[in-house]
Amino acid sequence: MTGAARRDGWVGYAFVGPFLLVYAAILIVPLLMGLWISLNNADLFGRREWVGLANYAQALGDPVLGQAFANTLTLTLLIVPPLTVIALLLALALNRATRLAAILRGVFFSSLVLSVTIVTLIWRFILTPDAGLVAVGLGALGRAPVPFLSDPAYVIPALAVTTLWWSLGFPIMLFLAGLQQVPHDIYEAAALDGAGRWTVFRRITLPSIRRTLLLVVMLQTAAQLQIFGQAQLLTGGGPGGASRTIVLYIFEVSFGRWELGYATAIAELLFGMILAVTLLQYWLVIRHEEQRA
Amino acid sequence: MRKRALAFGFAGVLLAGCQPADERPEIVVQRFFGECGAVYGASTDVAGAETECGILTTLINRFAAENPDIRVKVNVVAWPGYPQLAAQIAAGDPPDLVTMHQSVIADYSSRGLIEPVEPLLAEANIDPAAFTPAARAGVEKEGRLYAMPWDTIGRLFHVNTALMAEAGLMREGRPVLPNSPEELLAQARQFKQRTGKPYLIQAQVSAPDFMVAFLYTYLLAQGQPIFPDARHVRLDTPEARRVVALMRQLNAEGLTTRNQDFPAATAAFTQGRGGIFPVGTWMLGPYDAEAARRSSALHGHYAVAPFPRLWGSPAPFVDGHAWVVPAASRSRAERAAMARFLGFLARYNYDWSRTGQLPAFAAVLATPEFQALPHREDIAALARTGRQLPGYVERQSAVQGLIGEELEAAITGTKPVDAALRDAERRVNRLYAQMM
Amino acid sequence: MKRDRLSPLVTVLLLIGAAIMLAPMLWTLLLSFKSNAALMADSGSAFAPPWTLENYAAILKGSLTTRWLLNSLIVASGATIGVLVLSSLAGYGFARLEFPFRRTLFVIVLLGLAVPEQAVILPRHQLFAWAGLHNTYPGLILPSLTGSFGVFFMTQYFRAIPKELDEAALLDGASRFTLFRKVLLPLTIPAQATLGVFTFLAAWNDYWWPLISATTSDYFTLTVGLASAQMNYAQTSGLGFLMAQAVFASIPILVVYIAFQKQIVRAMAGTAVR
Repeated sequence: MTGAARRDGWVGYAFVGPFLLVYAAILIVPLLMGLWISLNNADLFGRREWVGLANYAQALGDPVLGQAFANTLTLTLLIVPPLTVIALLLALALNRATRLAAILRGVFFSSLVLSVTIVTLIWRFILTPDAGLVAVGLGALGRAPVPFLSDPAYVIPALAVTTLWWSLGFPIMLFLAGLQQVPHDIYEAAALDGAGRWTVFRRITLPSIRRTLLLVVMLQTAAQLQIFGQAQLLTGGGPGGASRTIVLYIFEVSFGRWELGYATAIAELLFGMILAVTLLQYWLVIRHEEQRA
Repeated sequence: MRKRALAFGFAGVLLAGCQPADERPEIVVQRFFGECGAVYGASTDVAGAETECGILTTLINRFAAENPDIRVKVNVVAWPGYPQLAAQIAAGDPPDLVTMHQSVIADYSSRGLIEPVEPLLAEANIDPAAFTPAARAGVEKEGRLYAMPWDTIGRLFHVNTALMAEAGLMREGRPVLPNSPEELLAQARQFKQRTGKPYLIQAQVSAPDFMVAFLYTYLLAQGQPIFPDARHVRLDTPEARRVVALMRQLNAEGLTTRNQDFPAATAAFTQGRGGIFPVGTWMLGPYDAEAARRSSALHGHYAVAPFPRLWGSPAPFVDGHAWVVPAASRSRAERAAMARFLGFLARYNYDWSRTGQLPAFAAVLATPEFQALPHREDIAALARTGRQLPGYVERQSAVQGLIGEELEAAITGTKPVDAALRDAERRVNRLYAQMM
Repeated sequence: MKRDRLSPLVTVLLLIGAAIMLAPMLWTLLLSFKSNAALMADSGSAFAPPWTLENYAAILKGSLTTRWLLNSLIVASGATIGVLVLSSLAGYGFARLEFPFRRTLFVIVLLGLAVPEQAVILPRHQLFAWAGLHNTYPGLILPSLTGSFGVFFMTQYFRAIPKELDEAALLDGASRFTLFRKVLLPLTIPAQATLGVFTFLAAWNDYWWPLISATTSDYFTLTVGLASAQMNYAQTSGLGFLMAQAVFASIPILVVYIAFQKQIVRAMAGTAVR
């Protein structure tokens, strides 16, 4: 194998090189440029003045960022666990070769083809307390409409539900893929042993798809920590900043206030945070796996 | 195989982008107001066009048709188009003429991102003395003119006179409007009691600008300098507390609608679910059309008035649209073409005022055509009494966002009025302190 | 896949869930067939006739709509082809070949999953301005090609293919590239379809990058173009029109999705692997 490795030497780069080149030029270079800009008092129009870590210091003492951080974390916690559980349950139910299951798979995947502009357009008219679909429904039951988008207590759950509705398809798809990898004979053996459904799920299914589970949780956490479009288009971060997320704040600082240096500093902090969370999740699962092995 | 075909198609489209050179000077006009090519296409019938989008589309079509020696490229940007403009300037490729709110001009002029337009105005034979006071104040920054003003937009009381009559608030065919905060509350209570509906319709969801305009108007009326200098705001004052306390009282007593965003509030007014909708001049046209519709709840029962004077003197807070010129090097021929475009727009300022906006040129106010437009005599005073914030005030939209957030908290009762105003002042001042 | 039927309770729960998923979309569809005036008078009128096609007619008459549609097709197809080519090559390289710094490079690629778009979008905008890429198709396509997920996904897929296949082919004297193209690539078609559909979706629905990169109307994508068509208060008068736009913009991706659904299911089933 060492001989093969040596012979493969440059051949490997012929395969990974094209991607790495694009990746370096269009992701790594801007990321490093951003790192440099974050150390400057910089505006959108090319002004640069070295300030060292002042932008980072400002970020740590910024109450608006603090609130945005808390909102983002709440949203992530409200979205990722239910999304994972619901998607897994649906995948378990739909992982069969009946016609109904095929149709329902299509239905549950369908929302993911919509763009965020369209999702928010639809949900605005569902949630608006005045004549929205929910309000009409509540009215039919003789209940008062709920101000989902203007009450600080409801606005985060409203965003979470919208996001759940929109993002369900992709994790279901990943789980279905994971479930397909579980060899049939194990199930058959378990059936012969007379194992109950719960036992089968806990002892066979779950361990077999732990990697998929990890992937879903990691991807969703990283995605929801960057939640932006829904908040911007549905609530504009309101009322009173109650639904402002970190990325929405970055957008406001860069395009509303033109403070590129400060905006990129926050973005770098977010990057560090996502990285840390992702690595932590990975480490927790992998360590566990090694212990079992 | 299919991939290869697609790749060739792709290359073909790239090549198709290259066209033979055109010697004519090109001007790039970038505007918001929406895209309505579906209705107006290449029409040049300005007089027959309706709505902001329609009138501006036919105007530009007409200019292009009358000036075949100029190539006119139009970019319609999603409202309000400022992220794109900032990106274009940052990329060093700005358009030539851009629609901009007058309240935004200072942000760009103070950094030299847009040019003074006196030379272009001179070339187009436009005398700045012809602008209305409100329009001129909107484009003059530090003694220079940074834009050609295009209109004055303000907020008006749009009134459902049927409901006002039911509430006993009509006299000689005109709505009776309050003259003091106490009268406002008294009339609002009377209205609610007799009609069972809220006196005011207000968009309080995702619309911070509405609350801020209300506050600014009545601070200006009380002669309060809201922005004593370029780096500070003053909101922690008895005058401000008075205004916000009134707004809070209206909410607490249910004298206004709550939980409505703009679409909901607009619909509520047309459906006759409240007495007065204090919203912009731009709704004058649509509501007038609605009032003409026989089956409408507003049919024949629509009136409009400037914000009533509640304290001090009438001084409604106004803004306006304007045409700015991003700084760039341009040839003589291009500048001549731009001047011709501005001159053309100036000649058609009356047609623009059919949208409901007030004209930027004082002469239009005096024309019989303008005065014959519905309701215009009721609101023409706005062009004279309308007040803008001082020319040195930057970041008005970010500042409005901050103040709006705090006002929302105060008005809905989640925060005491004085605490909210203190926080608003602190947050705005910090924004200015951190500004480069 | 299991062949047994769903229990009645589960079926009922699933149908309720499906109704929740579909209701917003059906409502949108209904609204898009109503005249704006009727909706302005009463937004609850969507459930009753008369319905009309006027909103769709208005969209098609829009001077630039077909151009925007073409732009979106070019950008999304370009991104899809680019991602498939780059990810397949890189996935094979990372999964099968030994080369210096392989593990390090793979980790660096995975770190890309954690980069928020907002951290790079503005520096990238300046970079592209310097390179003259704004208002061009490459400028709209290139950012999509940096996605780490595709590389990760293809690497995993290649890893699942038995190594014996490679060894047999290499013993027959095939080069690494021939092996990749003739033997392994055909086995990954379901994965290509899945990744392709997701890439197409993401590129089609992208909003912020095209908004600041394509600033002349000729290069707007459909999402940006349709957004430009609405004024800030357009919602007040044009609800039916807005909803028709939403439906119109979603149709092409729905077609793509349905066209490839079989492939996606197969990728899920992993039958090509085993």
